[in-house]
Amino acid sequence: MAVDISDEDLLARYPGYAIDHDTRARYRGWLEHVMLFDRCATCATWHEPPGPICPTCWSTDIEPTPIAGTGTIHLAITLRQGPPVEGVDYSTPYPVVVVELDEQPDLRMSGTVVGADNSEIVIGRRVHLDWALRRGAPFPVFRLDDQHGADQPGASS
Amino acid sequence: MSVSSRNPAKDQVAIAAAATTGFTATNTDRSQLSYAVQACVAALRAAGLTAADVDGIIGSSAPTAPELQGALGIPVVTYFANPPIPFVNQLSTAVAAVHSGLCNVALVYHASYRLPWNTGSAWKDPFRRGGLAGGASAGIPESVFGSVGYTAWASRYLYEFGGTKEDFGLVAINDRSNAAGNPGAAMREPLTMEGYLAARMIRDPLCMLDMDVAVDGGDAFVVTTTERARDMPLKPVLINAVTLGMTGKPSETQTPSLREHGQQVVVESLKARGDFWIDDCDVYFPYDGFTIITLNWFENAGYCGPGEAGDFLRQHWDHATNRVLIDGRVPVNPHGGSLSEGASQGSGHFREAVHQLQGLAGERQVAGAQRAIVTAGGFFFNAQGATLRTDG
Ligand SMILES: [Zn+2]
Repeated sequence: MAVDISDEDLLARYPGYAIDHDTRARYRGWLEHVMLFDRCATCATWHEPPGPICPTCWSTDIEPTPIAGTGTIHLAITLRQGPPVEGVDYSTPYPVVVVELDEQPDLRMSGTVVGADNSEIVIGRRVHLDWALRRGAPFPVFRLDDQHGADQPGASS
Repeated sequence: MSVSSRNPAKDQVAIAAAATTGFTATNTDRSQLSYAVQACVAALRAAGLTAADVDGIIGSSAPTAPELQGALGIPVVTYFANPPIPFVNQLSTAVAAVHSGLCNVALVYHASYRLPWNTGSAWKDPFRRGGLAGGASAGIPESVFGSVGYTAWASRYLYEFGGTKEDFGLVAINDRSNAAGNPGAAMREPLTMEGYLAARMIRDPLCMLDMDVAVDGGDAFVVTTTERARDMPLKPVLINAVTLGMTGKPSETQTPSLREHGQQVVVESLKARGDFWIDDCDVYFPYDGFTIITLNWFENAGYCGPGEAGDFLRQHWDHATNRVLIDGRVPVNPHGGSLSEGASQGSGHFREAVHQLQGLAGERQVAGAQRAIVTAGGFFFNAQGATLRTDG
């Protein structure tokens, strides 16, 4: 799944993101709609954020590995203000959640939720991963499990 | 949890003097350096010292120690450092440097300054636009770092414990009532619960009054050996124990829970290394950069159980003064804290603690205060604290 793109070009596709030697595989995955988390090839533990060594067993045999993209909302807020970004409407306001992934307890990722009213985006709801575009580059978003594909990705209604 | 109780520096290093410029919640026509310098000169004069007595400089990132040394004309230093905020990073570095002999008299400072990362209004001053310091989230709305992280865990607090916005509001009202007695505080108008609940929402569930107020101002301290401090004009404030606390998952998204982060480490460490805890505390300083942090400090310090801080504040509320008085005796952030005095990253909490223990707190003075606890910082990578006491 390695996208043939230089590190320089990768940085240009994702301005503002903390991309370095340990995290670049994740963003190359985004370009192909694949969400990668670091997993230890020795002890099979998942880690976040991506890093050069397994915090559990200190193996350096780390494999960026696709996640299923399913989980449960663990933290949920809405932003009335924030950095100005194309397609982000803070007057709605803009929902941001931290999702506990099904792969492992306490393994989490943050993102927005699309295609749902903010009143429905609450802690405990089941979600799944989808993809949207920002400045022409794919990035991960979540959808509530019981609202399949009602909106186009990226629409924040 | 296993924390060490080894503390050879216990009571061996003291704060000889503390001083402040006072705080202003607007873009003043002054530089950050000017505030640091003003506070430092005042602290040195209060300690009866001159520039030549200083041989260590320890402050937060701006101004740097070299800038401060040049500005004050300090002839020679043998140690300097600029560890990150919040303020126990500076204080603990000073304790280590003085106790180990890297320096004998450390000038310790923090200058607060309104910058784009803490207030959007800072953009109006062209000289402030360079200070971006955005941390990990450089313009990514879905990043849950810093301020957004505290808001996110506030959502979890309400979910787990069924608390209400009013629980957060009590923290803000306590600070505001206390700030009325502090001429240096930025926000001194009385605050009601109705006023709190009507404040502009920034990131649900936290509103503008749940977040510390960005200010211009500075605090400075003279830190030296207790032995030497005893020969100086003011009553020495002994650093009984000081600590930082962090767990193996110190990021905003991966922090295991509200009951497993840096604060619990700080509490265990201070109890193990120090000589007293909340039962013997005369004045308490829980950090309040966000109201959720303060509620969690009360719970983790042992004043009450998880999720019970709101009820605890109501039970210990002094209606006559519209603030908290624990057991009718112990005030909480009597200077107004970061929410009302100003966002000082904890330096204000320590300066007020020093003044309370030195008997210099004016109309806010807690009669006979001898022991203070400061629990500074938040949850993830910046929980920290100290126990302070007077001599003898
Ligand atoms: Zn491993």
